[in-house]
Amino acid sequence: MTAPRGPQPFPGQEKRLRLLAFVRQDSIVRVDKRVEDTAMVWPHLLTIEFIAAMLWTIGLFAISAAFNAPLQDHQTPDCTPNPSKAPWYLLNLQELLLHMDKGLAGVVVPTLWLVFMAAIPYIDRSREGVGIWFTSANGLRITIFAAVYSTLLTFSLILLDAFLKAHGYIEFASDYFPGGKQLLPNYVIPIALMIGLSILLVVIVQRLYLANTREWMIAIFTGWVFTYLVLTVVGTSMRGPGMDLFAPWGVPATHQCFAPTK
Amino acid sequence: MLEIPAQIWQKTKTSYIWRSLFRHGYPDSRKNQSLAVFTNVFLHLHPVKVRRHALAIPYTWCMGGLSFFLFLVLTLTGTLLMFYYRPTTEWAYSDIKDLETVVVFGQLLRNMHRWAAHGMVITVFLHMIRVFYTGSYKPPREFNWVIGTLLFFFTILLSYTGYLLPWDQLSFWAVTVGYEIARATPAIGDEFAFILFGGFQLGPNALLRFYVLHVVGLPLTVGFLIAIHFWRIRKDGGITGPL
Repeated sequence: MTAPRGPQPFPGQEKRLRLLAFVRQDSIVRVDKRVEDTAMVWPHLLTIEFIAAMLWTIGLFAISAAFNAPLQDHQTPDCTPNPSKAPWYLLNLQELLLHMDKGLAGVVVPTLWLVFMAAIPYIDRSREGVGIWFTSANGLRITIFAAVYSTLLTFSLILLDAFLKAHGYIEFASDYFPGGKQLLPNYVIPIALMIGLSILLVVIVQRLYLANTREWMIAIFTGWVFTYLVLTVVGTSMRGPGMDLFAPWGVPATHQCFAPTK
Repeated sequence: MLEIPAQIWQKTKTSYIWRSLFRHGYPDSRKNQSLAVFTNVFLHLHPVKVRRHALAIPYTWCMGGLSFFLFLVLTLTGTLLMFYYRPTTEWAYSDIKDLETVVVFGQLLRNMHRWAAHGMVITVFLHMIRVFYTGSYKPPREFNWVIGTLLFFFTILLSYTGYLLPWDQLSFWAVTVGYEIARATPAIGDEFAFILFGGFQLGPNALLRFYVLHVVGLPLTVGFLIAIHFWRIRKDGGITGPL
């Protein structure tokens, strides 16, 4: 008798299996769902995608026809605009720079923020509320509370900082604080505030709304998102020459050519 | 009279060439609708069927799809812009000026690229908001959320590296702010800024580095991450919904 054609199995492994599919229960469209719960991608989903793409294409054309992208004079290192601002989506970081050490505000805080964001699913491992906006009515209440809490606090802290600095805070700190104007104002106080106010928010929603892990995660996420938004808005529309604070309607025009005085 | 076009259509549909292109009939039956999605390289990113709630715009906001749409628009307009732009301090600014004044539809092209870039930062952010509040990062989608946060980070970086390229006062001083931040990195500030900007001040090296990152490095990275992101959406059971 001749051996069958093709590659031969190793001795002891004559029984050959092919892996056709590996399906976990929670990763497939559920088989026990009735047919009415599903829709064909062609035409239902593709129609929506096509219409959305068309509307956005038309919208983008319209916006691009109506508004020109900004272009100023050729760059020159001799002429610094006052204020020099980063693109708007980084003005939150630039705003943060005014209130603490540069490396802390510009690198350490955003890095930790991103790491924490990425870590959310590893902290909140429950499957509660998947696919439901805000999980529950309680979740919605917590979202609103955290939004108001962080908006008011961030805004008040920015105003307080501006007020104190206008009244000789820096000079007072260099004379009387241990470590001068660096240690406490640039490191200890901002770090304590960022961590302390986040923990306080969690404690409040746990007491007030009996929040579970998912719900305090909603609180902390909302709090940070609204802080980010407030910082962006203040940095974009309330900072004028010298990065001083102005009312949004009273911001003086940027000095296009600011010669540094020496 | 109408029989002639009908006959031509019939002949075309049964021709050898047509059947080599499309391996199914017109998608008006369940079978052909399935085959249309299944046998098309672009459409097969989708499953054949989705759960009904996944179609609801109040649920998804369409923001993930629109972020991808804007990424495609940016790739297309960006490639066209590359024909007219040289990333050197001698030419960069005048090439942008030429786009605005000499190149036919150059201004429109640049505007589209600019506004789509701002739009993508917003849509990616809103997509992240939607995914968080609907609890869509929960098992088994944990790692896809991590990919998503990376995509958010790289979207910002893409936008930021593009910001320098016009080499005007606006872009130069905006990127200077970022340069100062990079230098303030604890312990490795100067080295980090030197690698990223190619020197101890913003000059020709910074322009070239940002250009290469903007048109090659970052789009490839983002494309790679998008592929994983989409793949995992499929593998994790599609768009989330109530259990």
